[in-house]
Amino acid sequence: MKNTRNQIKSFFIRILNIPFAFFMHAIDLIMWPIQKIIGVRNMPYIFLLPNLIFFGLFVIIPLGANIFFSLSSGDELLFAERELPTTKQYDELLTCDNYLNPNTCTEDFFWRGVYNTIFFVFFQVGLMIFFSVLTAVILNKNIIGRGFFRSVFFFPVLLSPVVVGLIWQWILLKNGAFNAVIESYGGNKVSFLTDPSWAMASVIFVSIWAHMGFYTLIVLAGLQAIPPNLYEAAEMDGTSRERIFFRITLPLLMPNLLVVFILASIKGVQTFDEIYVLTGGGPGTSTSLIVQYIFTTGFASSGSVQNFGLAAAASMILGVVLLILTLMQLYFSRNKESKHQEI
Amino acid sequence: MTEIILKDIFKSYDQTEVIHGVNLKVESGKFLVLVGPSGCGKSTLLRIIAGLERITSGEILIDGNEVSNIPASERGLAMVFQSYALYPHMSVFKNMAFALENLKMDKKIIEEKVNSAAKLLQIEDYLQRKPKALSGGQRQRVAIGRAIVRDPKAFLFDEPLSNLDAELRVTMRKELSSLHEKIGGTMIYVTHDQVEAMTLADQIVVLNNGYVAQAGAPLNLYNNPSDIFVAGFIGSPKMNFIKITADENAGSFNLCSDSFNLKSGHKNLKHNSIYTLGIRPEHIEVTNKEDSDLIVNVDFSEQLGSETYFYCNSKDINQLIVHHTGQYKINKGDELYLRFKRDSLHLFSEDGMSVTNN
Repeated sequence: MKNTRNQIKSFFIRILNIPFAFFMHAIDLIMWPIQKIIGVRNMPYIFLLPNLIFFGLFVIIPLGANIFFSLSSGDELLFAERELPTTKQYDELLTCDNYLNPNTCTEDFFWRGVYNTIFFVFFQVGLMIFFSVLTAVILNKNIIGRGFFRSVFFFPVLLSPVVVGLIWQWILLKNGAFNAVIESYGGNKVSFLTDPSWAMASVIFVSIWAHMGFYTLIVLAGLQAIPPNLYEAAEMDGTSRERIFFRITLPLLMPNLLVVFILASIKGVQTFDEIYVLTGGGPGTSTSLIVQYIFTTGFASSGSVQNFGLAAAASMILGVVLLILTLMQLYFSRNKESKHQEI
Repeated sequence: MTEIILKDIFKSYDQTEVIHGVNLKVESGKFLVLVGPSGCGKSTLLRIIAGLERITSGEILIDGNEVSNIPASERGLAMVFQSYALYPHMSVFKNMAFALENLKMDKKIIEEKVNSAAKLLQIEDYLQRKPKALSGGQRQRVAIGRAIVRDPKAFLFDEPLSNLDAELRVTMRKELSSLHEKIGGTMIYVTHDQVEAMTLADQIVVLNNGYVAQAGAPLNLYNNPSDIFVAGFIGSPKMNFIKITADENAGSFNLCSDSFNLKSGHKNLKHNSIYTLGIRPEHIEVTNKEDSDLIVNVDFSEQLGSETYFYCNSKDINQLIVHHTGQYKINKGDELYLRFKRDSLHLFSEDGMSVTNN
């Protein structure tokens, strides 16, 4: 029986091998002459070339264009027709009578975006770390259906931000599912997405729901890297559960939490699509973050001309902030590796 | 001083029983060593005593009090782990003070206790260092220090020297022995190394597959092993085992194999039954042809200077290890005349039990 199964298996493998073998021979036909001309040592560059072309086309060139747009003025799209060089856009973005009051700034929408982003990142990252640690600690215990719950918490990460936005819009709209539940219990409908005092909270909640699984996974990996012997030693030392958590788990988890903090901050600053779908940045500008300002200014200004230069300058400022956060992340993740080697 | 008693301890993981009714008494102030091969249940038994594993049935008594359902933190025992289990983010001082801080002890008293333990273990200079900045031996001392500061009822050691190199292991073994003399507490020590067991223990408990194979003083186990497993486990190099047939001859028995025919003083053997003869390498003498019990060929010899080991074979003996004090030059294939010390012969029945001690 087993023998027959193996024979059938090897037959199918052989059949499947035919197109692969044909494909590899076809590649060989092209690669051999190239290798003869440029030599074996230079062959890696040939394999890197396709990705390099795409990277150049869609990253390097747009980056260069962005720098050019941010330092040139005018409504024209063509490089040759723009005035160069100028810091006009940066001046426009950064001119404020009082930086704490967006109304006194020349580009008040930009500053509203900045403050909304700061508020959003502060609460979203803080709460997300709190809930990620809480969830990871629970999922690290020997609970029934642990594998199932680990998947459940991770699944939202797999959803497209637009899908996340649409699902929660359906739930949180004034006539949505959640209000239907509230009403069925005799409560009054709440304007989760259209009341300025609720909109930001709703947006933060949805964002945490969508991304928490990923950070929970990082924290869970950190928890599992802590040797169980340390907990046993603490138990023998007569340590209370709270003290074990605050004096052993949390300090040993700190390198992971730093990485989570930086990664979540980077992601938080970049947030756009799910909020755009959920509230459109509204009501008013109450949930409009900085990326939405860039998008609206550069591509979707209604009525007025699209201002590429201003959007490019704003994205350059955002780019610098992200660069700093990324460098911090690299620094801390290297630090984390050496810390883990200590354990 | 603390007495620990285990009564009919059973431990199962799901359907698999790993400890099968162990009974054990650790007398107050004694150094007991649990020894056995990997997977024999020695570490599990230690963790059961510590309270880190729950028993399936049985009783654990510490100073007469039943503690089976009392958590590890309340049993008043201290454990030194194989991996040291030092808190990597804390200094040596903090590591040692941690348990005392849990008790909300006065800072001055904590400092005094840590300093005196550090002095005892000669780690005073490292108190502010983190564990990563210490060598293996120093880490082990810190782990022991962490146990000492608590003044525990008993110390539990789970293979504490197995991560150290051979030389350091010998040093630490001596230090542990003198530490036991100085502080005099009850100590239970787990190891798979029978040399550690022999040198440290007041009492050795040999475990095999979750059963106690034999318990007793080190030399008692060495001289009077209760079965073939203990005989083979205790002693290095291992005891030689040879299949023989008991042949009754005028009320006494001859032990016969293809290679030799020994007159023995054993009385309670069965005629024509097969037994296993056990003889330790140091109980075989190199002698002349006339006095010899058997002739063997030398496969190879280990010349250690002060002593020599011969690895030999004969017709029906695959390998016979012989110990010789001093130097002895011999070539591969040479014949060697050997004589067994009659009072050091061990006989085991087919089920492996000793018939010598009966």
